[in-house]
Amino acid sequence: MRLLTHNTLRNSSQKAKGEGFPLKITATEIRVEEAPVLTEDEQQLSFVKGILGMLDWSALVKAASEMGLENALPPMLTEDLVKDEDFLRALFHVLMNVHLVNGILTCPVTGREFPVMDGIPNMMLEEEECEAVRI
Amino acid sequence: FFPTKLTMDCCLPLNRYNLLVEFAVKHMDFQRSELESVLDLYGITLNSPNCEILQLPNASIERTRPFIILSFPYKEKGERYHLDEEATTIKKQESIALILSRCILVRSVIELWGVGSTLENCVSCSKQWKESSVGTEIFGKHSDVSKSWKLTIHTLGTTYTRQEQEEMRLNFKFFDFRGTVKMKEPSNEYIMIREVELNSLGSALYPRQDCNKKAIPENEARPPLGVYFGRILGQGRATKGRGDVERYSLKKRTYLGPTSMDAELSFIMSNLGQVEKGKYVMDPFVGTGSILLSCAIRGAYCIGTDIDIRVLRGRNERENIRSNFAQFGLPRPEIVRSDNALYNRHYRRSTVPLYDCIITDPPYGIRAGARRSGSKLENPKPVEEEWRHDHIAQTKPYAVADVMADLLDMAARTLVMTGRLVYIIPSFSTDFSIEDDLPQHPCLELTHCCYQPFTAELGRRVVTMKKINTYDETRQKEYVAAVWKNGTESAEKCANIREKILEAAKKKPRYEERLAIRKEKRKKTRDTKKLAKLKLNSEFSIEQTSCRVTSYPKGSLL
Repeated sequence: MRLLTHNTLRNSSQKAKGEGFPLKITATEIRVEEAPVLTEDEQQLSFVKGILGMLDWSALVKAASEMGLENALPPMLTEDLVKDEDFLRALFHVLMNVHLVNGILTCPVTGREFPVMDGIPNMMLEEEECEAVRI
Repeated sequence: FFPTKLTMDCCLPLNRYNLLVEFAVKHMDFQRSELESVLDLYGITLNSPNCEILQLPNASIERTRPFIILSFPYKEKGERYHLDEEATTIKKQESIALILSRCILVRSVIELWGVGSTLENCVSCSKQWKESSVGTEIFGKHSDVSKSWKLTIHTLGTTYTRQEQEEMRLNFKFFDFRGTVKMKEPSNEYIMIREVELNSLGSALYPRQDCNKKAIPENEARPPLGVYFGRILGQGRATKGRGDVERYSLKKRTYLGPTSMDAELSFIMSNLGQVEKGKYVMDPFVGTGSILLSCAIRGAYCIGTDIDIRVLRGRNERENIRSNFAQFGLPRPEIVRSDNALYNRHYRRSTVPLYDCIITDPPYGIRAGARRSGSKLENPKPVEEEWRHDHIAQTKPYAVADVMADLLDMAARTLVMTGRLVYIIPSFSTDFSIEDDLPQHPCLELTHCCYQPFTAELGRRVVTMKKINTYDETRQKEYVAAVWKNGTESAEKCANIREKILEAAKKKPRYEERLAIRKEKRKKTRDTKKLAKLKLNSEFSIEQTSCRVTSYPKGSLL
């Protein structure tokens, strides 16, 4: 599971009252992939620029530190940083190359745990947790 | 499409740059849609002044022909853009030949120098083109003594002898290329195409000879549908697109499932979805990841979700979704196990536009049943705390109508503006109206609907939609209620396909008879196997007649 994916996952059950984000990461196994290959640079830059707008920055910073990258990201995203291509490359690396292989994601409100096994987060709910009305 | 009319004396607008696109003779319904989607991705609108469609010769013939003539502006001075291999196009730094070679169904792209309804007309048109200003310039570039060349004669669906081909070649002698003739890898390959009516398999509808190689004079005398002359662009007739299909074919994958999408259709879907480098593609019913693979090959980053953990995990370490991607050196796809019916439960602020494309093949219960979380019971008993970690939650059937409604709603929320949704829906060829029977959403506009037939009655439709309006959270219930225009009647058309196929089969004549024959065959195979197994297991020699092998108590004498 990548940090980009983690930035979008939440537990929005009725009990959590819409506050089930971000999920706390308890990591047991992490893998970091190789630094990006230069030939894919344009592809990576255009991708990062595209998703920059939808990232929840504080959640990302917190998650990065839970994954062992304490000071990898600045606490705030500024105009200058957005224009800096080296920063964008580093951001791509943090978002896409750091994988949580095994661990647990915990809802900050209800404590409900979602396991991550072999890189795949399991968001499946128990029968009674699925609200009777189709959302 | 409303093509521009041609003038009588020469069938080409001589002041423009004209291309002939030859399609492969398959997936006929997809050809124009794929072409339009790919051109649109590069800023070229099909059937606009920047890219006109010209009428083919004998356009009144009501057949789907595997050709289209595109006409581009060709400016004389200042920023002149000629659209061949060396130059640039309107939006991006790709030549038109490269753009078109991305289309899986395009067989070749030809710079058109002459066209006509007969060979004579084509020759006279080519002569006029050669004298025109555009023609003089282009011809001048390629007639140079340094450019080796050859002229291929392509007669659609028919064979002509070497001598007959040579006679056709002589008609174009007036071009007088100064370079040498080179059969293998010349600098330029010219082509003359003689088009005739084709049947659905790609051979001539009116063949020159019958099966005994005897000439059929009335067919021989038939005029062609069109004759074209030009210079082949790109890598020739085995263009990049079709080469990809072979390279990434299912035969070569490490991990396959019963519903893996074939490489050809996956690439076509990625073209319809306008996937390109750096885009974010999502597949909510990812299965074995075959569709996402094509998207990754085009340079996109992929995420897939599925409810079934078995297919996500794969068979073992070496055979899973990831191994398919690793096999081709592609970045790992992101995979999440989740239920698309509950998308909003798992994903934050679900109206944040996240994905550039959503391309998927939803389960519709024919080969893979559709499931969703939840129990069939109204009030399921909650699982005790101590058993939770081991408990595997039940799933219940997920009606196809709901699958589609949820898919459209999720796409409307999460696609970026003008982002595309491409999905497959099974349906029957008749009794289906595109306006009424496809699922609808006010935020999504239908751009293409292409039909792929399987049998005379049954096929599937590949539907492409584009996001045109922002999702309004307060109207969510209204959106979901309006998905099926004619309510359950439309939804029914794509539901329960399996039952419908069985029902239709039962109505066919001799159904009972054939069922009995099949049952008999199966029984026979079972009995042969049983006998063989018995022979293998037995330590004693047994007689051929069937006899029960009884076991004797230990120590007793036989």
